[in-house]
Amino acid sequence: MLRVQNILKTFNKGTVNEKLAIKGITLNLAAGDFVTVIGSNGAGKSTLLNSVAGDFPVDNGEIYIGDRKITGWPQYRRASLVSRVFQDPMRGTASSMTIEENMVMALRRGQSCRLRRAISAKERVYFREELAKLSLGLENRLTNKVSLLSGGQRQALTLLMATIQKPQLLLLDEHTAALDPKTAEKVLDLTCRVAAENNLTTLMITHNLDHALSVGNRTIMMHEGQIILDLREGERENMTINHLLEMFEKASGSHIHNDRMILA
Amino acid sequence: MSWQVFSGTFEQGLMYAIMVLGVYLTFRVLDYADLTVDGSFTLGAAIAARLIFAGQNPWLASGLAFVGGLVAGAFTGLLHTKFKITPLLSGILTMTALYSVNLRIMGRPNIPLLRMRTIFTDFGKLPFMDQYGVLVLSLISVLILGHLLYLFMETEIGVALRATGDNEMMIRSQGVNTDLMKILGLSISNGLVAFSGSYVAQNNQFADASMGIGMIIAGLASVIIGEVLVGTSSVRRTILAVIVGAIVYRVIIALVLQLGLAATDLKLVTAIIVIIALTTPDIKKKIDPRSGTRDKKGVTHA
Ligand SMILES: Nc1ncnc2c1ncn2[C@@H]1O[C@H](COP(=O)(O)OP(=O)(O)O)[C@@H](O)[C@H]1O
Ligand SMILES: [Mg+2]
Repeated sequence: MLRVQNILKTFNKGTVNEKLAIKGITLNLAAGDFVTVIGSNGAGKSTLLNSVAGDFPVDNGEIYIGDRKITGWPQYRRASLVSRVFQDPMRGTASSMTIEENMVMALRRGQSCRLRRAISAKERVYFREELAKLSLGLENRLTNKVSLLSGGQRQALTLLMATIQKPQLLLLDEHTAALDPKTAEKVLDLTCRVAAENNLTTLMITHNLDHALSVGNRTIMMHEGQIILDLREGERENMTINHLLEMFEKASGSHIHNDRMILA
Repeated sequence: MSWQVFSGTFEQGLMYAIMVLGVYLTFRVLDYADLTVDGSFTLGAAIAARLIFAGQNPWLASGLAFVGGLVAGAFTGLLHTKFKITPLLSGILTMTALYSVNLRIMGRPNIPLLRMRTIFTDFGKLPFMDQYGVLVLSLISVLILGHLLYLFMETEIGVALRATGDNEMMIRSQGVNTDLMKILGLSISNGLVAFSGSYVAQNNQFADASMGIGMIIAGLASVIIGEVLVGTSSVRRTILAVIVGAIVYRVIIALVLQLGLAATDLKLVTAIIVIIALTTPDIKKKIDPRSGTRDKKGVTHA
């Protein structure tokens, strides 16, 4: 489904701040794969996802989604295939607009907008049904401004928006990291459910090693712009968090001194 | 305040409210500080006055004033989106250019329209309209335009336009061309401003090359006053607030004049109103659609 072939990305080329963030990554995801991505700060995890989403062009290599080569596509064109949720709940929604208005924008993702009433009565019913599945009570607040929601509610809404029109690929960049632990679990459960129901191909960055092994069907570890570990079903099942830490230290030749890695 | 002064003030408020709807669209909806307004207001007055003076139909002249504003706004939008000039500078550039353009259109610094046929003299000929024609026509115009603006905001394009001002990155990732949305918003905004200019010129029975000076601040003051008095809980309410704000602003100005201040001091008074509004925390909180969302119970950091 997703094929990333030997991509390279250098930031600030030719300046003192030159940074080789991705050093030749190749990654293939089958349809329905749910891959968790871990690695220390600055490993290039976000840069990998951003390259796929088209925030910037890559310096080398190709990216395919299905049979489509999207390497040269601008970001807005990829919007019809890829959807994303970020760490900051503010990023994914328009706070001064209502819940239903935010949802209708997501529903029309990749379509050109027209001069007709944005939300039909039928769509309103549909939004209500979808929101009810979150069991956050949002189904009765369609015309509330999003600024009235809590961070967790906003992130759940963003996730719903990212999947309401089934994307080819779902990219999650530490999307539970800004939430309190209880809300984070709830949003993560929701993520797993939505991904399973729609058989979504998903890449999820997390700094929680427990989640990294328990969620999805595959785990990759990144370090200094490269994938240093790729665990598939069998290997993953036998993996413990401590063992994962050991492997990280062995593979990268360094100790983890990263307080953001959560061990349990 | 005598009844005559009051009704005159009210009429002015309604005409200027059309301009304030435009200012609301850029400043609030698009979050874009557009200074084109000073120029496009005069542009509308100039186009209408020139055509009416030449004996053209005043309704057609007002319509063309609107079109002139559309073009001016689109020009500012292109400067900003295609050539990456900052919003502030793009507006100032168009405004400055318009000063010369307006003089060209008028052919001289001012055009008197005394005893000319205007939309108001036409409307005044309708039954029962000889006395309140100006008031009724202005009121109908504002209500229709305000309602159309509201309907527009609820369309797919309107929703995308509002999202462009709220969270550009998000709506772009939904596949919306935000440059186009900004050009469209600036265009409609300045169309309204110019249309308002054409009304004011016909009501005052003259157009003057400098009549738009300070219009942007007057517009902003009106928006703020309306938001504070009426509130911004929904789009419909905010549009109503903007119209009310425009009228209240004119009433304040009329009162200040009654207190004996010179007409030339009005710009200072207007500036002070805006400064007070922008520096008073309680007012600030009330008028910023996005304030208080970031530090509310919302985000808890793990
Ligand atoms: N837009 C950017 N401009 C310059 N440097 C960047 C940019 N984005 C990321 N980097 C650099 O690239 C490296 C990888 O960053 P990132 O992908 O964000 O890491 P991670 O998400 O794994 O913590 C870091 O050194 C970071 O400073
Ligand atoms: Mg990151």
